[in-house]
Order: sequence, then C-alpha cells, then structure tokens
Amino acid sequence: MATNKKEHLQNVLETHRMKHVQNLVDKFKTKRNEVKEALEAHYGSNIYYSFDSGSFKKRTAINTKFDLDVVVPFKKDSFETLEKMYDSLYDFLYEEYQDVTEEIRKQTVSIGLIFEEDEDGDKICLDIVPGRELNQDQYSEDNKLNLFVYRKYGIFSSSTHIQTNIQAQIDHIKAKENERKIIRLLKIWNNNDGKEYKSFLLELITIKAFEKEDISGNLWEKLEKVMEYIKDKVAEDGFKLIDPGNSNNDLMDTLEDWEKTNLSNRMETMLERINSNSDNIKSYFPTNKDFEDDDKSSNSSGYGIKTGGAAYSTPPKNERFG
Amino acid sequence: MKLYNKHRKVELIIDQKLLERIGKKGIEHFPNEFGGFLIGKYSDDYKTLFISDFILPKSYKGSRYLFERSSKGMKSFFSNLFKKKKEYYVGEWHTHPNGSTGFSATDLNAMINIESSTSVSIKNPVLLILSVSAQKINQATFYIYDKKKLLPYE
Repeated sequence: MATNKKEHLQNVLETHRMKHVQNLVDKFKTKRNEVKEALEAHYGSNIYYSFDSGSFKKRTAINTKFDLDVVVPFKKDSFETLEKMYDSLYDFLYEEYQDVTEEIRKQTVSIGLIFEEDEDGDKICLDIVPGRELNQDQYSEDNKLNLFVYRKYGIFSSSTHIQTNIQAQIDHIKAKENERKIIRLLKIWNNNDGKEYKSFLLELITIKAFEKEDISGNLWEKLEKVMEYIKDKVAEDGFKLIDPGNSNNDLMDTLEDWEKTNLSNRMETMLERINSNSDNIKSYFPTNKDFEDDDKSSNSSGYGIKTGGAAYSTPPKNERFG
Repeated sequence: MKLYNKHRKVELIIDQKLLERIGKKGIEHFPNEFGGFLIGKYSDDYKTLFISDFILPKSYKGSRYLFERSSKGMKSFFSNLFKKKKEYYVGEWHTHPNGSTGFSATDLNAMINIESSTSVSIKNPVLLILSVSAQKINQATFYIYDKKKLLPYE
C-alpha cells in the first residue's frame, strides 16, 4: 500500500520531538544553569545576562542530535581584544570543568564542553559562545556582538572576528511554526544523510522559500515546495542567503559551486523518487523508531475531573517551580 | 487566542490582553522568576478551557532560576470564586527570565504534586510558562498535565 506522505511526515516530526527525551533535556538545562551561574559569579559586571541560542532556542531541535548553545555577552571594556576574551573564557572553563569533562575544545566561534557520561550513560554537550558588545554600553539596545574567530575556514577563512546579532537570528524565526516544521524535516534528512549542510543554511533557505513562494497545503506539499525552491535556486548565480545577524554574511558563501549543484541535484533526485514511489519518503525522512509508540497509549480526550471530588479546587499549599 | 492540544483534543482560550497582563506582572519581578494561579472555567462538554483571570500568591520566593509560591490563607478566596462566579483554580503560571518556555523537572514535579493533591478536583491542570526579558514577553507556552507528562498546546 502506498505511503500517505503527509501522515508519515507528521509521524517523523512527532517521533523526533524533544519531549521524548525530556529527562535528558532537563539534565542539559541543569548543567547549562550551573555554567551560567559560574560565569556570572566569575565575570560579574563584565558580562550582560547570558542567554540560550541555537536550535533549542529557535525550537528547531530534534531529539537524535542536539547540543545547547549559550551566548555570553561581554561588555566592550571588559577585554582589550576579542582573542583575550576568548582565551579568558577558555581558561576559566578549563580550570572549572577539566575534572568533569571528557573534552573542552576551542571551536570556530565557541568553546565546546563535553561532560563525562553520567550514571545513565548520558553525555551533556554545551557550546559556550563568547561575544563582546560592538559599541560601549549599547548591547542592551542593539544586541550587536563581535565574536572571535578561532578556527578559520570557509566563510571565516580570512576573518579574525565576526560581527553578529544573535538575537536578530532568533527573532528571524520567531512565530514561524510552519517554517520550523520544514526546517526540522530537512535537519532530519541532513542528519540521516551524512550531515553535509549547516543547519543554519537549511533554516535560512526554508524561511526564504516561505517568503518568496506560495508555500501552502499539507505538510508534504509544503516540504515539496521548499525542496523545489532549493532545487531551482541554490545553484543560481547571485542567489544569496543573508544572515539576519549581519547583512555582510552570505551563508551561500559557505558552499563551493559544486556543493551548490550537488544540493540542487539531491533535491531533484529525492523529489523524483518520492513522487514515483511514495514509500521512498521513508528512506529520506525516517521516523525515530525509539519513540514510535509513545503517543499511542492514550486515546482519551477532554479535560478530566476527579470523581467524588469537591466542586472546585484549592491549589496545594507550597509548590516550587524552576 | 485559541490554542489546541492534540494529545487530549482540547482547546484553551485566553484573551491576549489577559496574557499581556500576566506577563507584565512577571516582568515587574525580572530578573527573578515570578508566578501565581490561573483561574477559569470549562465548557459543558469539558473540551474547552476558558482562562478568565490570574491570581498572585500572598507569599512567595523568587530567584533567578526558582519560584516558590504558597496558597496559604487563600482557601476562602477559591471557595468564594466558585460560589460567586462559578470559576475555578485551573492551573499555574510562572516566568523564566531570559529563559525558554520549556518546562523543567521541578515544574513537572510540581504539577504531579498538584494533580495528586486531594484538594484539587481537576485531572488536567494547565501550566503557563512565560519567557520574559526586562522589557517584554519573549514567548508564552501553555502545557496540559496528563498522566505525569506536560504536553504543549499549539
């Protein structure tokens, strides 16, 4: 029997939702809070409030692969140079966490902390992104940061620093639930297929497709139209994906010409194969088998009322929330 | 604003201005967490919850990552609310200053305690988490509690 593409994709999204790994997510958040508090205690008034970014914050995370990004905005006068800021943060994290981590590594613009496995076998990964406000005392107003570029390649190959506005990147995807569903699906495909493409690139190209084309219909029809947009546009001369955090960054510059053509070809092949046989959708967009049956246990509906209870409720005396 | 939870196939309706009023209270306590109780009523078929108001706790403790509230001395308030307006306590709300609207293990435990409390007659209390900054509400997410899980409305 042919696969119902819409229903299959809904199931793909459902089985990749973060709620299935809530305990693990809680551990990430607890560890993140610990690190945030340690940073605030150490750097005091030299930093503004650290905040989450990345797929958690953008609500595009999928439960097969994720880490948690924390941005630490330093004040302009806290360090003479961006490199000193980056090194200071690395030294502090190394000193503080060397005994409880497998690795503390310098990454392109962040410092990655990979904590040792806990008793459940879970490994927490945090990416800490230091940034220095661009203009003295203006960060609260303009959210502009300068990041130090440690590892130079691709778009960063000739840069020592990069100006960005991470809040603008987060805002760019706010209230775009349809776009987020397609981004999650493309991330699932990408992760299942060697993770060749940056999630941020897939995010920007999806949002652009929704802006430029009439992306409507059911979930499959929306995905199909976005894939067609990528197929048609990605290898075109002059096609740009401008970073909402810095209009000088074009994410298309991170791809070589042959990679653009390759991405276009892969979209074309996928579309052809799925449209010739709907079962093929399962190989490109697989469900997460670990959580396939999680939501089938409850078929009840409506708000429940306890039998024999009082007509109204009084909340219990003391409750604690976090 | 009308939200839907597909897990229990229920609706939640709240006026945008009410949500903004709740958020404003939360912002006043920034950068600490703050919260309180949600008041509302159900449709006759128990498929829709109308959130009609919110109540601040008489006593509470708030810090950057924790909010503890007490309902001590408020029993008569909830009793009168039902007698006069046929409205009930339907859930809880609190803020995550500069945080996400995801719930924590502490939040889930609190909702487990609430549902299992003998003074609570509802099986599916709701939880509203507001992400706030010093100036504005960043995001708000409602969850329905069901069988030791919190499931978001969309």
